[in-house]
Amino acid sequence: MDQLINELKTQLIEALNLEDVTPEDIDAQAPLFGADGLGLDSIDALEIIMLLEKNYGIRLANAAEGKTIFTSIANIADYVAKNRKK
Amino acid sequence: MHHSLVAMLRHVNPRVFYAVTNALIIPPCLLFSPSRGIAYRYFRERHHLSRRKAAWATYRNHCLFGQVVIDRFAMYAGRKFDIEIEGYDHFQRLAELPEGFIQLSAHVGNYELAGYSLKAEQKRFNALVFAGEKQSVMEGRQQMFQGNNLRMIPIRSDMGHLFDISQALSDGETVSMPADRIFGSDKAVTVNFLGVKARLPQGPFRVATMRGLDVIAVNVMKTAPQRYKIYVSPLEYDKQAPRREQVTQIATLYAHELQRVITLHPLQWYNYYEFWNQ
Repeated sequence: MDQLINELKTQLIEALNLEDVTPEDIDAQAPLFGADGLGLDSIDALEIIMLLEKNYGIRLANAAEGKTIFTSIANIADYVAKNRKK
Repeated sequence: MHHSLVAMLRHVNPRVFYAVTNALIIPPCLLFSPSRGIAYRYFRERHHLSRRKAAWATYRNHCLFGQVVIDRFAMYAGRKFDIEIEGYDHFQRLAELPEGFIQLSAHVGNYELAGYSLKAEQKRFNALVFAGEKQSVMEGRQQMFQGNNLRMIPIRSDMGHLFDISQALSDGETVSMPADRIFGSDKAVTVNFLGVKARLPQGPFRVATMRGLDVIAVNVMKTAPQRYKIYVSPLEYDKQAPRREQVTQIATLYAHELQRVITLHPLQWYNYYEFWNQ
């Protein structure tokens, strides 16, 4: 699981162009959205949706599903581990 | 109100509504609306008009805005407009490809007519629209565009629209997005526009580069009371360049195209807020 979390962190840093951020800087349990965590916004959420589809073959169907998954990187990793198709 | 307007426009020539709007509605609106000052400064500072010409252009700009609103309802009422399309081949070429593409719009002219005129039978067209419009307006659109393979995606606070966009692009459909207003996400790209630096939303350009999609800019401008011209322009960017550079490239190309069109039709700029300070 740790390997998958690190993989996701690296992919997010690249996709979201998070300058001067390393995987070690990101707390896997921290919230992705809002001021308390990574401070991501809606367009970043779309990047994550597409990243999951492209890299893991996961197509999220709706906002409700996304809301429960996109709480932290650890939560996304858990979902990816259970649902990945590639 | 909206239903009555549509019903009346089935029988009354829209020019009658134009005349009433120009004479009775626009003058008091200009007295009380902050849009007057914003439009006046736009003509003074961006087009360098004299005070007298800028004041007259401000009045005509508001009259034209009233007319495009009337034209939308006239369209819902089934009225037809003469449409000339520049660059239709670009739209057709992309419509025939299996991949989806991104169509960028701005708050100039009367973009809604594009949904009526640019048809892709094999590819569904998804238009991202700001939520909160009157139900009758949404119904009018849906009804009007029923035969045009078109779906409206309202921007929602629960981010549901993001899933619709993602799904549409996965299915090889077209997604149309406004590219001139920063909304939802504060992230922006700075470009030169009409001689001054302006901030455009990153979102539409990032969506295109996420999948390396083709992009076209579409602007629909009023050229006569019952006539419009649609400008379709491909925005060709280097898909091998780093993502960030791709985003800058498309944004710059988009700003150039919007500037070209708005220079031809300066009166049809309807961003009634501090665009250059957004």
